[in-house]
Amino acid sequence: MEKSGSIDSLGSKRSSSRQPSVDSLSSTSTSRSDRSAQAKAASAMSCDSGATPTELSPELRVKPKTAAKQVPRDSDKEEPQLLPNETVHDMAQDVTYFCPFIGAMRGTVTVTNYRLFFRCMDREPSFVLDLPLGVVSRVEKIGSASSRGDVSYGLVCKDMRNLRFAHKQLEDTLRKSIFEVLVKFAFPVSNGLQIFACEYGQVFPENGWKVYDAVSEYKRQGIPNESWRVTKVNDHYEVCDTYPSTLAVPVNIPDEELKRVAAFRAKGRIPVLSWIHPESQATVTRCSQPMVGVNGKRSKEDEKYLQAIMDANAQSHKLFIFDARPSVNAAANKMKGGGYESEDAYQNAELVFLDIHNIHVMRESLRKLKDVVYPNIEDSHWLSNLESTHWLEHIKLILAGALRIADKVESGKTSVVVHCSDGWDRTGQLTSLAMLMLDAHYRTIRGFEVLLEKEWLSFGHRFQLRVGHGDKNHTDADRSPVFIQFIDCVWQLTRQFPAAFEFNENFLVTILDHLYSCLFGTFLCNSEQQRLKEEIPKRTVSLWSYINSQLEDFTNPLYVNYTNHVLFPVVSLRHLELWVGYYIRWNPRMRPQEPVHQRYKELLAKRAELQKRVDDLQREVTNRSASSSERAGSPTRSITPVQTFV
Amino acid sequence: MLTGSKTTFKVRQMLPDIKERMLSQSGVSARSRDVLGLRCLPGECVLQRAVMVRKKLSAREGRGWVSGTLFCTHFRVAFVPQDSPKPDDNADPVLLGDHDVALASIEKVVVVGPNRTKLVTPNSSLKFTPEELVLYCRDLRVVCFLFDRLTPDAQVLEITYTIAKTYQPPKPGSVLSFQNAALGSVEMKQFLSNRRRNTDMNWFESASDWEHELERSGASGWRVSSVNDRFEMSTSLPRSIVVPQKVLDTELKKSFAHFNEGRIPRWCWRHPRGSDLLRMASFQNNIYHEKDDIRNLEMILFGCQSSLCVVVELDEELPSPADIQLAHSRLRALCLGDISTSVSVPDDKWLSTLESTHWLDYTRSCLRKASEVACLLRGGHLTVALQEADDRDMGCVVCSLVQVMCDPHCRTQSGFQSLVQKEWVMSGHRFYSRINYHRDNDKEEAPVFLLFLDCVWQLLSQYPSRFQLTGDFLLALHDSIHLPLFSSFLANCQRERCKRSQNPGQSYTPVNGWRDMLHPDSSSDPSDPPLPSVWDWSLQYSKHRRDRFTQPMPPIPPLQPLLNGNLNTNPDSHRLTDTIPGSVFLLSRGIFSCPANLLPWRSGSSGVYKKSHRRAASSENVPGLERLLKAWAQAEFPQGLTSSSGPQGPLDPYEPLLPLLMGPCMGLWRECYLRGALHAQAFSHPVSANHPHPVERLAREVQQLKDKLEQVSTGTDLNPPTKMAEPRRTDTNLNQNTNNGTFLFPASRPQSAGNPRAAPPPTSTNHQTSQGFPPASAAPSRPGHRDNGGSNKHTFLFGHSSVAEARPDQRYYPAPQNAKLPKSNGIQSAPPHDRL
Repeated sequence: MEKSGSIDSLGSKRSSSRQPSVDSLSSTSTSRSDRSAQAKAASAMSCDSGATPTELSPELRVKPKTAAKQVPRDSDKEEPQLLPNETVHDMAQDVTYFCPFIGAMRGTVTVTNYRLFFRCMDREPSFVLDLPLGVVSRVEKIGSASSRGDVSYGLVCKDMRNLRFAHKQLEDTLRKSIFEVLVKFAFPVSNGLQIFACEYGQVFPENGWKVYDAVSEYKRQGIPNESWRVTKVNDHYEVCDTYPSTLAVPVNIPDEELKRVAAFRAKGRIPVLSWIHPESQATVTRCSQPMVGVNGKRSKEDEKYLQAIMDANAQSHKLFIFDARPSVNAAANKMKGGGYESEDAYQNAELVFLDIHNIHVMRESLRKLKDVVYPNIEDSHWLSNLESTHWLEHIKLILAGALRIADKVESGKTSVVVHCSDGWDRTGQLTSLAMLMLDAHYRTIRGFEVLLEKEWLSFGHRFQLRVGHGDKNHTDADRSPVFIQFIDCVWQLTRQFPAAFEFNENFLVTILDHLYSCLFGTFLCNSEQQRLKEEIPKRTVSLWSYINSQLEDFTNPLYVNYTNHVLFPVVSLRHLELWVGYYIRWNPRMRPQEPVHQRYKELLAKRAELQKRVDDLQREVTNRSASSSERAGSPTRSITPVQTFV
Repeated sequence: MLTGSKTTFKVRQMLPDIKERMLSQSGVSARSRDVLGLRCLPGECVLQRAVMVRKKLSAREGRGWVSGTLFCTHFRVAFVPQDSPKPDDNADPVLLGDHDVALASIEKVVVVGPNRTKLVTPNSSLKFTPEELVLYCRDLRVVCFLFDRLTPDAQVLEITYTIAKTYQPPKPGSVLSFQNAALGSVEMKQFLSNRRRNTDMNWFESASDWEHELERSGASGWRVSSVNDRFEMSTSLPRSIVVPQKVLDTELKKSFAHFNEGRIPRWCWRHPRGSDLLRMASFQNNIYHEKDDIRNLEMILFGCQSSLCVVVELDEELPSPADIQLAHSRLRALCLGDISTSVSVPDDKWLSTLESTHWLDYTRSCLRKASEVACLLRGGHLTVALQEADDRDMGCVVCSLVQVMCDPHCRTQSGFQSLVQKEWVMSGHRFYSRINYHRDNDKEEAPVFLLFLDCVWQLLSQYPSRFQLTGDFLLALHDSIHLPLFSSFLANCQRERCKRSQNPGQSYTPVNGWRDMLHPDSSSDPSDPPLPSVWDWSLQYSKHRRDRFTQPMPPIPPLQPLLNGNLNTNPDSHRLTDTIPGSVFLLSRGIFSCPANLLPWRSGSSGVYKKSHRRAASSENVPGLERLLKAWAQAEFPQGLTSSSGPQGPLDPYEPLLPLLMGPCMGLWRECYLRGALHAQAFSHPVSANHPHPVERLAREVQQLKDKLEQVSTGTDLNPPTKMAEPRRTDTNLNQNTNNGTFLFPASRPQSAGNPRAAPPPTSTNHQTSQGFPPASAAPSRPGHRDNGGSNKHTFLFGHSSVAEARPDQRYYPAPQNAKLPKSNGIQSAPPHDRL
């Protein structure tokens, strides 16, 4: 906290030294419209010229220390504003960038260990493209040298865009093209380098690594209580190396038995508590598939364990097991030793399949979506093209599954067990969405951070594998947009319940941007154990440090804290929409017409102002009528009854 | 005789029973209430009721269910929630309560039984007791009632049969009986005839209304002609039309024959940059053009602009009425779904099915055309004439859309109402045929107006803060279309409306006998109820619903230019200074051309203007125009997008709102089309998860605060001699005092608590007392205005209906050339009849 003062002063320095470029850089996002109107003017221009790719530099708003101490740069300078410990590694003049919306333009490319920076000075206002290298999925040399001696490179990005550059064939054949240099820093893991997050030395007033503490989160939920206890059996990640060290389990199952249950669950991911209903004590528990196999193996301990989960909730004598997979896939898993709970073995349990497809289907769907939205959109067949990607259909199935879970817990007062195959992709989507619907705490900014830390990071969603940070192997079959899907579902919820969430769209976009940017350590590694081993919290900055240090950018002005409200969204495709503000944000023609948030803020300000005036006037009236009772015939006499109108 | 038995019985048997009950229940006093809290209209009687019914609430209403009593009268199906406040017996009647459905808007009645659903027709019989009653409405609502187990079976059956029997399946003749049911009672007729008209808006009925529009938009060089006062020149045009000042009525008369239906080019609106927007029908080609005729035609067409006229062809790129009808019926089928036939499009085919309705394509093409015209107009100093074969459908759509885009006034409620009045009601959109209330003319049916409303909604959803009106207002207008009660929609042109309103002296029937399509049998039957205008919202909606029609905070123009990525907004680069006088171009498919046969009198045979025509076609001019549209076209082909436009000065509030037209930007008006979709929810939840949209709530709160403030401030901020007209009453005064010809003030504004404008109470006192001219003190009360050289003529109104002058807020163009008003012109001030 004591550092906040220095940040303030830095902030003011920033505003004096490089206001124009910051504005043009930072205010181009779709919904970040609640910036100042002046900034908007500049950004509106630059967005027209396509300077949109600078989305990923919001951290510039909290001024990097080192850069601030350097000579104040003009926005006309060809180099980017460097972050702490960011160093320029190569520069090239006369590079052509083929913008699919504006056309080709020539400019200068700078490559640092964090970003690619392109600036074209020929246009007014100058065009800027600022791309964190973490976003790059692959770099490919397109074709051979053309007749004019140009070589061209394509950058396929993880955030729904492709970039194309070209430059003259280098005369010095020994010299590497800037794009060859770029590859080295874009894929540090493959090249034996450090991910930039480990070098980034920014200090924020908030420490995001302290946002989540498992024990206090369980405490908030009322755990331990008479039926649930917190166990340290996994303290050294011996029971399950992908689970967190702190787990909540039924009271009457001793740690020894947990280990035997772990043997029956895939990867040792035993059923553990995610959320407990504060009133009914119905619980959401998560796990991986049982190792049933073709022979229909059973485990006494596992059966007893699920019985204990059911018994912990006195309101219901039933337990719902939600298997996220399509039943066919679940059955196919038996061949690999997995499978699903048979209702014979688990009495009083009902098994429901939620028909959500696997990571490969989702990856393919997003790829198709990218084809449909980038760079050009075919207007006349837009909807059928969108339909053919099945993206919204997948979103719908996930939301519908989460809705059924939330409904069982809230309306049915029944405990549920959720799993898929390994319990770290679809299971995380379902439990976290259900918790978002059930518990208003997770709909605040800090609560949402806790939710991500808990259900995604600590329970071992394999971010490193799914995103492939710094890894050049873009064809890896483990890549999948599972987390994007989850954020998309959250966005759908915010659309249907605009006042129920403390955060705004910008918050969600920022999270996704930094999922790839490798600027923060939050999404690195695959599990809590790995993160601890790599000392990520010590070596990197948390994304939440950045976000919590400037909350006003991420706050929904309309937020009303409905503490006890459960959200039941409509999950029909008729009421779902494509998240245009994320998937199509690079298209300058898709910019929102209106700063809607601006309008909300105006309304709120107006309300406050009017409320104040009403109060003032009423006070004055009471004063006057008090005095007028002394002086008869006062003009305000007739006013008094008005107050009854409320 | 009706027992709770579930045996079959015919509805026909019930007929005498209904009659009987009607008589028995239509109490002594017409204003009597039913015991269970239904506030009846005068003369309305309850035919049947059922207790312990639950109504399904839409997402907008908060979802879930509300229980209460269901009524069927001979005018509506009414639902009174249990805990609704006691109706106020002295309040003015409101046709429909918040939960009510007019019988005429019901399209289908479906019941859901234990295991089955059934469409109920007047003749059908039920073999089971319904558990659920679903009313499918023409306005795309689906209203769903759930009967409780405790509801007596007899009541359930009876009310179902009663609704099915009385809801009037579409057949000719049912409209009149519906009107009579709603408005036919003596009390209601009296009530309606005493109703005052809304003076906040321009009704465009008289010449002076048009003069006000000319003045408001700062158009000089035009005059209002009453040459069509008896509809002799054109039956479908209004009495007053606006034509160039320099064309005399005698000359004008000769031009009618050159246009289809006599719909000559008429002035509609002037862009603040000085361009005029005109509308006309297609040319009559097989007519001989005399030299004088040609001179007049050219004058009319060019209006006040000597240099350039662009004819915008509307027929080719826009959907035909038949297309619109087909698209809309597909959209209906898609959105409504249908329990009885279970033909509901599966969710995974929803998007492609929506696309295949082409409804969104059609809204897009209308918006695109209007954007083109808006861009043309902002170039300044040219005449844009919209030409459609009959000038009664797409002409209305495009012309009014252009004005919504360019003129902030048209984005207010009163301004929008005036616009609809001007471009649709008065200019002869065939509402009556297009809506096809009587179901007797299916070929003509086409919801052109609904397409327009959808286009406006698209603009609204892209520019929410630039509109003063709200989606609720559009929705209310959308729903009103389906009620055959309003004079605005029950005729095809002003002539028919005049005939209906029994002003035989003013209407004129040509010798060849104009067939009265409206009332073949009883055109002048004095027993017809007087039909109200649709703009009389307080007749239709409760105050609480009407409050949501406008945003509480007036929209403020944003501080920075809104680049929507598709327009080069620098106007000066487009100045068409180099055009040769007399050039006419055709804009079609986004391309300017100069076809030889564009103006029939210039082509071929006549040869008089051939020379100048050739000159006009010279290559210098076309590129100039091409440039004008280039930026717009670039939006369609992003490769060509330029970024040459530099930062702008302060934003011009008349900068058109150009919508984004890409596929993902065209939204579906869910609040309208998916209101009733029962299949929408995977499964329903009794728990209400969310309340009305927070913006609405916020808006309402702001409104309430303002109301409060208004009350408090009128008292405190004004100095003594306030004879305290009660603040609440200022509004009603505004509405009621319209026929006195007094000057009215805009509703007092709380924001201006401290400034001199907020002096309404003294004046409201004044206009309560004054019958004739307002006191002189009225003049300084319009401080926000251009100084008229001391002329306070705005405060003197014509004695009759044209009180609409007092709309100080509407005037927006304080241009210097405007100092000479058309009204002050000698020719103009003569009464119209003298010029005939």
